Amino acid sequence: MKRWIKIILGLAVLGIAAAFLIYHFVINKPHPDFEKIKPNYSLNARAFYNEFKTSKENAHKLYNGKVIEITGKLARIESADTLTIAVFVFNQGMFGDEGIRCTMLKKFSAEAKKLKPDGIIRIKGYCTGFNETDVIMEHCSLIY
Amino acid sequence: MKKYWILIIITVGFCINGFAQTYVTKNGMIRIYSEAPLEKIEAVNRQVNTALLVPTGDFVFKVLIKSFNFEKALMQEHFNENYLESDKYPEATFLGKITNIKDINFTKEGIYPATVEGKLTIHGQTHPVKQNGTLEIKNGAVTAKSKFNILLSDYNISIPNTVVNKISKSIEVTVEVMMTKLN
Repeated sequence: MKRWIKIILGLAVLGIAAAFLIYHFVINKPHPDFEKIKPNYSLNARAFYNEFKTSKENAHKLYNGKVIEITGKLARIESADTLTIAVFVFNQGMFGDEGIRCTMLKKFSAEAKKLKPDGIIRIKGYCTGFNETDVIMEHCSLIY
Repeated sequence: MKKYWILIIITVGFCINGFAQTYVTKNGMIRIYSEAPLEKIEAVNRQVNTALLVPTGDFVFKVLIKSFNFEKALMQEHFNENYLESDKYPEATFLGKITNIKDINFTKEGIYPATVEGKLTIHGQTHPVKQNGTLEIKNGAVTAKSKFNILLSDYNISIPNTVVNKISKSIEVTVEVMMTKLN
């Protein structure tokens, strides 16, 4: 085989490999595994909520888009559509209970539904912000 | 005479409380969707905070941008970092009224057409909107549904030149919120 054909074939193989890697690890990269991510902050749930309530801007800068681990007294578990939500209540507002709402990862739904109100629990999740009544956490997992 | 005035005030107060109702949910759903040559964009947010006041018809919802979940991680990253800039503008809000609230009988189950008028704020830009939808009264709950399109340019959401012909300039928004009466 002529040398230039070998070079072209080699470049073609490299190109295909590069395209595959870019597609797999960049374009089609998986979502982060929130269960395994080390939290950026570990906080008391009430203190975490109070930070948003007293200084929303500062808390947004600190915690939005971060993985937070919180410990506090569970108020209740809610089910909405296919979601399971762990609810912490720290205030009563114009539209009812206010606090922290944690949407559980599907893997933890069944375990979360067995939790009893008023128990102290530890949850880790991705903080998406404060909507004037509640701090919202997504992709949450229970920590034992 | 004084005790009659007190009685009248208590009765009026009771009537106001008795007729004024607030319907709320913290698990409303908003889906965004667009289909363009480059790819289909679809994301769902199931943590929409919503309140409806009856009989005034005041209607409000608030959405956290980072709570939109996409199937593809890269698309979610671009949505937050390049298009909606969710660190700078973390929320979207709607403040308005159901203008034909008097035509809706909240004590009778059924599906009623509803017109919503108000101001929608996305990406720090506020625009007046007027949309049609429905209100379904069933089992004591009120479900508001609407589907409409918004132009990205109205909200100062710019598309990079490299993909400008491959991404839709408008996006379809579907709202579905089931609210229950606040005790």
